[in-house]
Amino acid sequence: MGKFVVRRLLQAVPTVFGIMLLTFILTRLSPSDPVTLMVRTNPDITEADRAALREALGLNDPLPLQFAHWAANVARLDFGDSFNYRRPVIQLIAERIPNTLQLSLTSLAIALVIAVPLGVLAAFYRGSALDQVIRTVSVFLHAVPVFFLGLLFILFFGIQWHVFPVGSMNVVGESCTWCSDRLWHMAGPAVVGAAGGIALIPRVLRTEVLEILGQDFVRTARSKGLRERVVILRHVMRNTLIPIVTLFGGILTILVGGSVIIEQVFNWPGLGRLLFEAANNKDYPLVQAAVLITSFLLVISYILRDLGYAAVDPRIKVGG
Amino acid sequence: MASPAIAARAVSPTLGPARRHEGFWWDALYRIQHDPTTIAAMAVLSLMILLALAADVLASHVFHTGYTNQDLFRTWGPPSLEDPKFWLGADNLGRSQIVRLLYGARVSLFIGVLGASVSLGVGVSLGVTAGYFRGWWDDVVVWLVTTIANIPILFLLILVGLYFRLDPLSLSVLIGMLGWLGIANFARGQTLALRDREFIQAARTIGASPPRIMTRHILPNILPLIIVLAMVDIGGIILAESALSYLGFGIQPPVPSWGNMLSGSAQFYFLGPHLIIAPGAAITVTVLCLYLIGDGLRDALDPRLRGTAGVARRG
Repeated sequence: MGKFVVRRLLQAVPTVFGIMLLTFILTRLSPSDPVTLMVRTNPDITEADRAALREALGLNDPLPLQFAHWAANVARLDFGDSFNYRRPVIQLIAERIPNTLQLSLTSLAIALVIAVPLGVLAAFYRGSALDQVIRTVSVFLHAVPVFFLGLLFILFFGIQWHVFPVGSMNVVGESCTWCSDRLWHMAGPAVVGAAGGIALIPRVLRTEVLEILGQDFVRTARSKGLRERVVILRHVMRNTLIPIVTLFGGILTILVGGSVIIEQVFNWPGLGRLLFEAANNKDYPLVQAAVLITSFLLVISYILRDLGYAAVDPRIKVGG
Repeated sequence: MASPAIAARAVSPTLGPARRHEGFWWDALYRIQHDPTTIAAMAVLSLMILLALAADVLASHVFHTGYTNQDLFRTWGPPSLEDPKFWLGADNLGRSQIVRLLYGARVSLFIGVLGASVSLGVGVSLGVTAGYFRGWWDDVVVWLVTTIANIPILFLLILVGLYFRLDPLSLSVLIGMLGWLGIANFARGQTLALRDREFIQAARTIGASPPRIMTRHILPNILPLIIVLAMVDIGGIILAESALSYLGFGIQPPVPSWGNMLSGSAQFYFLGPHLIIAPGAAITVTVLCLYLIGDGLRDALDPRLRGTAGVARRG
């Protein structure tokens, strides 16, 4: 297991390097000049000040050297100060991460609880009306834009029927993290965020379960007279753990990518909403750092997924 | 060299009994003709394309207004049958929603088709060459795929949208340049599986050059499923564009896109629910049709895959 962990961590190195390189190149390709952006609110700036600032920021250095400096800062999690808030970017982001994690993990749990049984049922009752319904719902949820689903939720449950709040995390004056008020506010964004997973999981899982059902060991289990319930729980369901862990990667990407939309629709003060506001304020360091840090979080969750994969599937450890 | 018949044998060795026409594509056509869902989706999508193409004519001869013309007496006007241009109501600035939807269809479909062409071009060429040549080039392509797969694509689009001003053309090229991962993975995997098959070895033995082998022998074999992926890709790109425009970083007003018609929609909840429902429904129906056509084509082109997952959602 130790060897596998080390190998997997080493595999992440070129990916992290690629992410940093791509972000850096995009920033440097930009036609807007960083010095102009930094001093745009200061009318007294002179040409000499600009030149001094340019030299101090290292913008006259050769590009590879600039990249090395920048990468060294990123490695220390130093992304500079936000243009807008005048505070270290990393602080602003760190404050928002718990909110995003709370929402995404709840969405993930909802997606798994609803979609895993659907996928298994669709496989067991292959070709039935139930299978058709599940397939239709899944294709439909694939096609609906997340923000439209969120807007519809607010329009009906928030405005028309007054069942759920129209946005934000707590009622005014409250600030608890795990309480009925927070859960009530989280219901909408969490369910809408789960839609992507509910669209993805049954389709993939159905195929996987069908494949497992056709395996020799299932036939053996049945032919030696095990009750159907035991066959399903002990022999089939245990093996579905592998594709479910694999699916984590896809769902996480959907959740993280969708966070900027969900948080904007439901006014949820997480990382996605921070990114949205920063982009509107043209707060370049903050946007750049938000893209980098969410990408790093994804890299970490993929590593965790692969470790979980090794934990449920012993064959991987043998191979690695 | 590789006719569709050879392609058919390689992709699907067990075709059903010969029907009226022999051959792979005729067989697929026969299956589609007997698939009412796919036919219906194709009909709806064709209607959508026709309406989008005819937007100018319809706007000037039926609705008598453009997408920027305002009627300030009719702001927030609900849908009504009395005046054709307000069949679907008016928006917060008193513009005809039906005309804006028609022009929005142009933007969405244009970006979807162009973006998908770019991502197909990049994905297929990188995937096939990586699978065929292997070695360092394969490593580079795999590295690119893993890197981009780890960056949330919407975040990256927002970052780029901040640095460059995006029009429909540059936006579709950009989305296409970031959205080729799934296609490259598929093309690479298929090529790896095909490159050591006998018919490829035979071609190599008689001296066919690598470009010739890739374009004449490998490509025809993976083409059927590439067409399926293309449909799904157009849908995914339309969704990505609408999300970006909804957030305000994609297509900029006054050019209408289905996404930016919904931006700032928080103010629509009380005054104009029709302004939320119509554009959202337009996106949903279009993407749904594309996915259904993708599903139907996959079943028709490769019956062995019937009912398996094909739709890949972009992050």
